[in-house]
Amino acid sequence: MIAGTVYGVVLNDGAERAALAPAFAQAPYRAPPIAPVLYIKPHNTILPGGGDVMLDGLAEIAVAPAIGLILGRDATRVRPGDALDTIAAAALALDLSEPCDSYYRPTVRQRCRDGFLPVGTPVPFDPALLETEIVTRIDGVEAHRWSPARLIRDAASLIADVSAFMTLEAGDMLLIGVPHDAPVARRGQRIETDATGFASVRATLEGNA
Amino acid sequence: MMRRARIFHRGRALWARVQGDMLVLPGGERLPVSDAHWLPPITPGATIFALGLNFADHNAELGFKAAEPPLVFLKGPNTLVGHQGVTPRPTDANQMHPECELVAVIGRPGKRIPRAQALDHVAGYTIACDYAIREYLENYYRPNLRVKNRDATTPIGPWIVDAADIPDPQALAITTLVNGVTVQAGSTRDMVLDVAGLIAYLSETMTLRPGDMILTGTPQGLHFVAPGDRVECTIAAIGTLVNHVEAAA
Repeated sequence: MIAGTVYGVVLNDGAERAALAPAFAQAPYRAPPIAPVLYIKPHNTILPGGGDVMLDGLAEIAVAPAIGLILGRDATRVRPGDALDTIAAAALALDLSEPCDSYYRPTVRQRCRDGFLPVGTPVPFDPALLETEIVTRIDGVEAHRWSPARLIRDAASLIADVSAFMTLEAGDMLLIGVPHDAPVARRGQRIETDATGFASVRATLEGNA
Repeated sequence: MMRRARIFHRGRALWARVQGDMLVLPGGERLPVSDAHWLPPITPGATIFALGLNFADHNAELGFKAAEPPLVFLKGPNTLVGHQGVTPRPTDANQMHPECELVAVIGRPGKRIPRAQALDHVAGYTIACDYAIREYLENYYRPNLRVKNRDATTPIGPWIVDAADIPDPQALAITTLVNGVTVQAGSTRDMVLDVAGLIAYLSETMTLRPGDMILTGTPQGLHFVAPGDRVECTIAAIGTLVNHVEAAA
């Protein structure tokens, strides 16, 4: 379903950056971030279409609804005005992670357990998809709502700024931002995320204490 | 000794066996090693794990303590470049340094692999040079991707040596030469967490799959490279990986 590498970006939520600005002047950060702050979700995390996620040993996890853009051709040093031309498809994803306050050196395993990226079926890309509201329900009750309007770097700027120092390859997926107020869900709960124009994505949190 | 190389030959990528100074192609055709067009010996879709701060001597040199838990990061395949390849050096990268590393390639898949059985899951070993550019370090999600995920900044190869030919991966000399001068000289015995320990740690929460790679960290020796430099990374019992540094376009 996703042939390439999945990249995500943190600190692209304007509300988050405003709230953390004082902390980012202090150690260990000392200065605000300059380049996009990226991470990788390896293949073991990808759960095509959603499904059961095992939370062995974890009581709860953060559930970050995100839009993933899938590249149809390589993006290297593209200009913002040309950036969206490299996108072929888009999908909703639930970027799951252990709750963590540090942006300094979080461990890979906090974001990269097996099944920690349920991904909905991709749809052909249309720029209108970037205007949509993303609604997340936990056990049928709305728990979160946000939209790409909150992003500091919009999709085109983000692709341009990432492709300034690395190639986003055809088949890669770029999650364009995660909300800082992502809801937390517990074992046994059902998560469902929808947005107009996208295939919805569902996950159920399973596992042993 | 069994060595497997990924080469480009007559319009396609294929795996070849290395026998002395010859490559044996899947159909039995033979090709001089000197004619090879080397590719990174990677399985498409493999996860590439890398370790920071995994050698006690290197940590002392950087003024860091060993990371607890281990400092693991991930790399995309855009970073890889084969033996005898070229790595671009940006004009402002005055602090770009090579890091020679032992790479363990996973064979048998597994999750929650006990340390005692961990080496049974290794298909083989190769060599990587995990360049870093210190000017681009930022204090968010260290080591940040602008430092560690640049195109063609991780030479890897020349080939994968079967695990059966390397009974003890913790007793291998590691050296890096720049233009013939030794700039790194260490041993895999100085790893903070050894290959078996890394496999056990990673597989606690993540399923390891065939072809996944673990770059196990680098020993001391900080040397900044310049355009035109020839960098040779050698690990005993595996071989020598050669890379050429050129000014970025």
